[in-house]
Amino acid sequence: MSQMLSPDMTIAAEATAKAKIEVKNLNFYYGQSKALKDITLSLPERSVTAFIGPSGCGKSTLLRVFNRIYELYPKQTAEGQVLLDGQNILDRSQDLNLLRTKIGMVFQKPTPFPMSIYENIAFGVRLYEKISKSEMDGRVEQALKRAALWTEVKDKLNASGLSLSGGQQQRLCIARTVAVKPEVILLDEPASALDPLSTAKIEELIDELQADYTIVIVTHNMQQAARVSKQTAFMYLGELVEFDRTEKIFTSPREKRTQDYITGRFG
Amino acid sequence: MSTASSLHQSRKRKNAVMMTLCVIAAGIGLAWLALILGALVYKGTAGLSLDVFMQMTPPPGDAGGLLNAIYGSVVMTVIAVIVGTPIGVLAGTYMAEYGRFSKLTTVVRFINDILLSAPSIIIGLFVYELMVRPMGHFSALAGSVALAILVIPVVVRTTEDMLNLVPNALREAGTAIGAPRWVVIKSVAYRAALSGIVTGILLSIARISGETAPLLFTALNNQFWSSNLNAPMASLPVTIFQFALSPYEEWQQLAWTGALIITLTVLALSIFARSLTGRREDK
Repeated sequence: MSQMLSPDMTIAAEATAKAKIEVKNLNFYYGQSKALKDITLSLPERSVTAFIGPSGCGKSTLLRVFNRIYELYPKQTAEGQVLLDGQNILDRSQDLNLLRTKIGMVFQKPTPFPMSIYENIAFGVRLYEKISKSEMDGRVEQALKRAALWTEVKDKLNASGLSLSGGQQQRLCIARTVAVKPEVILLDEPASALDPLSTAKIEELIDELQADYTIVIVTHNMQQAARVSKQTAFMYLGELVEFDRTEKIFTSPREKRTQDYITGRFG
Repeated sequence: MSTASSLHQSRKRKNAVMMTLCVIAAGIGLAWLALILGALVYKGTAGLSLDVFMQMTPPPGDAGGLLNAIYGSVVMTVIAVIVGTPIGVLAGTYMAEYGRFSKLTTVVRFINDILLSAPSIIIGLFVYELMVRPMGHFSALAGSVALAILVIPVVVRTTEDMLNLVPNALREAGTAIGAPRWVVIKSVAYRAALSGIVTGILLSIARISGETAPLLFTALNNQFWSSNLNAPMASLPVTIFQFALSPYEEWQQLAWTGALIITLTVLALSIFARSLTGRREDK
C-alpha cells in the first residue's frame, strides 16, 4: 500500500492482450435497486478472469449480464454496453439464443438435464447443428474427454445424468457447455457445492480450458481465485473496486478495501 | 435436579396421552374405510362373474351384466381426458412457465381453485343448459364435456405445481446452452415434471370415474347397448345410483358389483400414480 505503483503501467499491460469482452459503464437494476454501479472493465481473450467479493457485491449479477440470462426474470434491467468482440450484446437486436451458444455458463449447483449422460451433451449440440449419429458420438466423446469425465462414464453413457456424483455432474455440465463450442465460458461458483477433490479436478480443468476459451469465474473462495485466474476483479457493494493481474491483487492491492477483504478483515 | 426430572416425567405423560389420542383418531378414520371396503368386497364379489362384463343391464327380475354401463363409463372418461388433458396441461404450462410473473396467472389460479372445488352437480347443470337444452336431448357427448370440465382444474393445478417444483436452475441451464424457451419447456421442464403431470392426469381420471351428478343431467342413462355419442349412454355411477335405489334384488346385486369395479379401478389408478411419484422421489 505504501509504494504507489502507477496504475497506468498495469493497464498498459492488460491492453496488450486482445479484449474478448469489454464492459462499458454498465448499470444493473433489480426493480428499483441498483446492483451494479458504472462498471467498466475488459476481459482478455483466452485467459481466466476471476470476480471476487463478499455476498451481494454483484459479482454473480455481472456474470449473468454476459449471457443475458437475467432476462428470464422480470424487472431486471441492464444499462450501458457489453461488447463481445466489439459488438454490443445488450443491443435489442441481439439474438439471445445465438448469444448463449457463444457464451456458455456453468452454475453453482450441478444441473444435469433429466436425461442420459449422452443426451445431456447431444441436446445442446442438436439445437444448432444437424450431424450424423457417428459424428455426434464423436462430439460427445470429445466433450467428455475435454471435461476429464470420459474414462469414468464411457461404459454408461445411457445412464441418467442424475446418477453421477456431484463432482461428476458438474464436469458433465462443463462437457455439455464445451460441446456447443462456445467462445466464452462463465462459471458461477462452479466448485462451491463440491468436495475438495472434485474442486481440484474442476480447477485443473479450468487451467486446461483457458488455452481455447475465455473464462470468467465467480468465486467466494479467494484461494481459488488466486490459483486459477490470471486477472482478478474485486467487487464491493455493486462497484468494481479494483481490477488487476491476480498476483498484484493478492500481493499489493492498490485499494485499502481490497486489502481488507483479501486479508480477511471483512467479508 | 428433581424439578428437571419431574418436568421430564410430566412431558412424557403428556406425550403418551397425545399419542394415544392420535392413534385412536387414525384408527377411527381407517376403521370406516376398512368397513366400507370390506362391505364392498363382501357384497360385490358375490355378484362378480364373467356375465357382468359380457351382458347388458337387465330388466327387473332378469339376470344380466353391466357391459353397456362399463362401456359408457370408459368411452365418456376417455373422451373427457382427451379433451380436458391438453387444455389443462397447456393452461398449467402457461401459468408455471410463460406467465409465472403475470397478474393473469394469479387470476386464473384463483378461478381454477374455485372450479376445482365446485360441486359437480353445478357442472352438470351448466352443461345441461349449454348442450342438452339446445340439442333437445341427453347425449354421451354432453356427459363427456361435463366430465372434461371436471378434469381440467385438476390437471391445471397439478401441472402448474409440478412445473413449479422444477428448479429454476434447470431452466437457466437449458437457456444458458442456447435453447429457446419452448425447447427448455418441452425437453427439460416437462421431462423433469413428467411423472407428476401424469399423476395429475391419473388422479383426474380417478376423480371423474365415480362422478354421478354431472352425468345425470347430461348423458342420463341407457338400459341398452349404445355407442352413439349423440344419444343417452349408460355409465357405471348412474347405473349404480338407479339400481341401488330399486327394490329388485338382481339390480341391487349389480349395483354392489359395479361399485366394487369402480373402487378397484380407482385404487389401481391411485397405486399406479403413487408408484410414478415414488419413482421420481427416488432420484
